[in-house]
Amino acid sequence: MNPSLKLATVVLIAFEISFTQVLTVNLALIGFSLIVLVVQRIHFKTLLWLTAVPLFLASALVWSLALQGDASHHFLAVIFTRMFVYVYLGATFTQTTQPLALARSLEQNAKLPAKFAYGFLAAFNLLPKIRAEVATIHAAALMRGQVLHFWSPQLYFKVILAAMNWSDQLADAMTSHGFVEGAPRTYAVTIPLRRRDWLLCGLGFVVVQIGLFVGLP
Amino acid sequence: MQRWHIRDIILVTILAIFMGVIFWAVGPLYAVLTAALAPAGLQPLANELLLGIWVMAGPLAGFIIRIPGSATLGEFLGSAVEMFLGGTWGASTLISGAVQGIGSELGFAAVGYKVYNWLTLTLSALTTTLVTFLWDYFRSGYNAYHLGFLLVLLVVRFASIFVFGGILTRLITNLLTRAHVLPATSKN
Repeated sequence: MNPSLKLATVVLIAFEISFTQVLTVNLALIGFSLIVLVVQRIHFKTLLWLTAVPLFLASALVWSLALQGDASHHFLAVIFTRMFVYVYLGATFTQTTQPLALARSLEQNAKLPAKFAYGFLAAFNLLPKIRAEVATIHAAALMRGQVLHFWSPQLYFKVILAAMNWSDQLADAMTSHGFVEGAPRTYAVTIPLRRRDWLLCGLGFVVVQIGLFVGLP
Repeated sequence: MQRWHIRDIILVTILAIFMGVIFWAVGPLYAVLTAALAPAGLQPLANELLLGIWVMAGPLAGFIIRIPGSATLGEFLGSAVEMFLGGTWGASTLISGAVQGIGSELGFAAVGYKVYNWLTLTLSALTTTLVTFLWDYFRSGYNAYHLGFLLVLLVVRFASIFVFGGILTRLITNLLTRAHVLPATSKN
């Protein structure tokens, strides 16, 4: 399915179920997402992780709601299952979509200006370097007997300087490669937006709307 | 009004990823806090206490990259990173990111993107608190809590956002100003 459309569908459904309280739809969405994940051959360990964390958080949240509030059992069940819908539905997107494909699709199909699509992509590709930089900053401070915590301004100061440095270099590098903001571009790889994608997206929406507003528990 | 250029776009994204990586380390702390507070039915407090850390990318980006939309973009991209890394909130992470980003953006918009000092950061903390609380009111079922507990949550949330998005952000930007990376702001 087209990455942009898939993302829009997932986020809009997640948004909608945040304001509605239909247990059946939540359960149906969980079931559907699990089927998609299994068909996509998700690793068992990933699935276990995706289940354990929300299980822990949802249990704690529901327990608090039961103690500190006056929620009905139905409401508690809705809140409990909602967390799993978020995580599983989100995973159907993240487990099946590469950032590169998403950036291309956002540029070609969603008409996001190229400078944003490629700017995001360039930065996202630095992720391993960014992780290493944070570790380096920590280590360098330790060498001077300085422990940096997440509340230490110095940590962020150094991080921001690195970010500014890298963004200058990356922007220069892109300009050197002939990237011009706002210039018309051709695409080496086109991301198709087929009628089938619209149909799937529309169908998903209609089914969820029917489920939400037909009066199911 | 300044416009977005490729350098700013890359900067705000790298900044968001950096924040995402740092706050990744806070995850275990959240789990421990949740586990400690949950038996007493105080789980949301863990959320409120640490929320300031997660929404810090907004005010920081807004303060450093002085272009309308930078706070929203910084926070939103941070959440996108979190979602791709496999964050605990899945698909709703993106919505939360947008909500938090718009929340802190409102503070900067309120002063017309012209004033960058304590007032701006305090306003931003205030708008972030209100907007994100409204979102949790629906998403996390906060509407089922008793009024007293709800008020406690609101106050703790503002305190957390003010400490991280206000005080810590101010300390960081002070360092940047002293290093002449940021223009000197009006004394306040």
